[in-house]
Amino acid sequence: MFGEKVIELLKEAERNRDTIDQYNDEKVRQIIEEMHVLFKMNMADANATTENKSLWTTVQVRHSALERNKRCLLAYLYSRMNKIKTLRWEFGSVLPPDVRELLSDSEYEWFSKYSTNLASYMRSLGQDIGYSGIDLTENLRPPKSLYIEVLCLTDYGKLELEDGDVILLKKNSRHFLPTSECQTLIRQGILKQIM
Amino acid sequence: MFVEDIRNDFYNTLLGNRVLLLVHYDVDAICACKILQGLFKCDNISYTLVPVGGISELKTAYEENNEEIKYVVLLNCGGTIDLVDILQPDEEVVFFVLDSHKPTDICNVYSDGQVRLVYKDEEENIPNFDDIFKDDDEEDENEEVESGREGIEAVVERRRARKAWEERRHTLMFNYTQFSYYGKPSACVLLELAARSSRLCQAALWASAVATAAHSALHARSPARCLLDAEALHRYVAAAQRHDDSAANRTACVVMEKDAWLPLYREWTLEAALSHAATLAPKLKLYARSGSSRLRQLLADMGFPLQQARQAYRSMDVELRRSLLTALETAAPKHKLPVPTKATFILQRPHLPPLAALDTVYVIMAHIEHETMPKAEGFQQALAALEVSGDNEAWRRGAAAARKCLQAVASLVHTTLSSRRLLLAGPFSYFIVQEGTPEAGVVRGPLWLGEAARWVAGGCARPLLASAPGPPATCLLLGLPPRFDHEPRNLFGAAFEQAATKSGVSVSLDYVDSSVITLPTSQRAQFLDALTALLA
Repeated sequence: MFGEKVIELLKEAERNRDTIDQYNDEKVRQIIEEMHVLFKMNMADANATTENKSLWTTVQVRHSALERNKRCLLAYLYSRMNKIKTLRWEFGSVLPPDVRELLSDSEYEWFSKYSTNLASYMRSLGQDIGYSGIDLTENLRPPKSLYIEVLCLTDYGKLELEDGDVILLKKNSRHFLPTSECQTLIRQGILKQIM
Repeated sequence: MFVEDIRNDFYNTLLGNRVLLLVHYDVDAICACKILQGLFKCDNISYTLVPVGGISELKTAYEENNEEIKYVVLLNCGGTIDLVDILQPDEEVVFFVLDSHKPTDICNVYSDGQVRLVYKDEEENIPNFDDIFKDDDEEDENEEVESGREGIEAVVERRRARKAWEERRHTLMFNYTQFSYYGKPSACVLLELAARSSRLCQAALWASAVATAAHSALHARSPARCLLDAEALHRYVAAAQRHDDSAANRTACVVMEKDAWLPLYREWTLEAALSHAATLAPKLKLYARSGSSRLRQLLADMGFPLQQARQAYRSMDVELRRSLLTALETAAPKHKLPVPTKATFILQRPHLPPLAALDTVYVIMAHIEHETMPKAEGFQQALAALEVSGDNEAWRRGAAAARKCLQAVASLVHTTLSSRRLLLAGPFSYFIVQEGTPEAGVVRGPLWLGEAARWVAGGCARPLLASAPGPPATCLLLGLPPRFDHEPRNLFGAAFEQAATKSGVSVSLDYVDSSVITLPTSQRAQFLDALTALLA
């Protein structure tokens, strides 16, 4: 049957909507091959039977199969593209290697282009009010407060803040710091947020 | 220098700057810190909070954190020492001191802006500037210029005047510094600040309610003063209640109620709470053989069956629980007990049992002087225990620890009194907690040792010294003034200092409260002898 493979491909992609899986190079190649075969058959039939209208139905069926394949493939690629877009917002401009492996070469190329575009857009933001760009990916949801209260769990040593202040992180000292400064330290387990 | 306007000159100066917050380990300081943290959170003032236990810790904490810091706020520490001399700060650093330990060091009072005292206590009789400071250089220069007979006479005259002035200065300073005592709770001062910046919330009310309860439970202030301190709080609580009657069932709120002045009785059994109440237990003479029968007699007079009194208060008969206050009040005079009920603050929480301010005082004490937990960790727990919303895990753990501590204190007091370990030495009596006893671990800090000492003294007219083993080979010595429950001014601060210089014992006067010192255990007897000689 025509178009079976492409349905398999879509079903596979549909199974995990939220995550991205390996680009199915093999199946896509097979589908394209099938389309080439269909196209050649159609060419042959169309050339041979300009007079004989009995074959027209066959050609038409093949053609719609061809178009269906094309449409499904595009849908596959488009949904992947949307997923890659969200990857940029979640991971930043550098993808972790395991995620990188899931993309095909051209997808990766698209990703880097998208990334550069986004970066240059973010740099251009707010220049008229004196900021040199705003990192839009930092707070996808508005934060509850700009500062959070943290408790230091280990003797970490000195930490220099963005505004140049130096603070000493010592065990069991409490600090009230800008959220952006603390996040990595919280992830590392040096600080603990106090609710 | 005193801050004139607490909002503009103190709080608004801090806006937009990084602040170093140094907080002493005591209940009032922790409550004050909670209020200040709430204010800082509202205004996004970033701060670093370091708890400090004594003067040397204060020094290291300042040295470690002074980079790029312009404003330092000290809560219940640093007021009684010359900050500029001890910390050697840069000139642009400003210290805001809110210390309920009195008397305030005279150099801090007359500092020209580097040290700013947030609250001026009217009770303090601070000597005038001209009486204690004089420009010496000027006079020296004048002395050299003049000569001849008249000149010599003038010089002699001046010297005499100077000597008289010096004597006068000495008496003034002596009168000023001879007693150490406590002023208005810092949390109440900060409550005023919160009210003036319209940021009064239940958390701030609760924190300052706990602080006032602490001052009266620990006898830091005389009962009349405690009542006056809480006056503002009464007003704010009433106003808040009127304000959000509709929200009362949904959020935690502080209310004022008449309540039994028994520690943790809601978390305990009635019998245990009665036998561990610092106001009742000494009067019931529980250390004696007849003590337990007296307690049973009291319970019988109250009409509480033993079976009920011995089970968890929460599972007690509802009728009995309701009649507890009246029963206590009617039964107490029969046994010549002080009035066991008081109007106190209670935190009503939705869907959770209410918390009493008095209980929270003991919870915080148990956290900061925990037997096994390091002090700094206990400090964090104590802050968490002051939280008003949510199920308070830290509070419950603290309550369990506090029960243990109270039991240890009670058994310590009973053994001390029943085996006649309370010794008389001239003008004062003293007792020593031996190293290795099971209770020694609990009373190694000044708070619980003070609790035990007050219990032993039981309001008697003699001053009392208590000593407990501290870190290896040293011991803690704590002085309690006579009649501490009426006039809590403490003479031991100055006495310890003098005895130390006279006896030559290497005493460490590191505690912010000057009536608590540490000294090597081997030299304790020598020191006590010197103290006896001094006070006789």
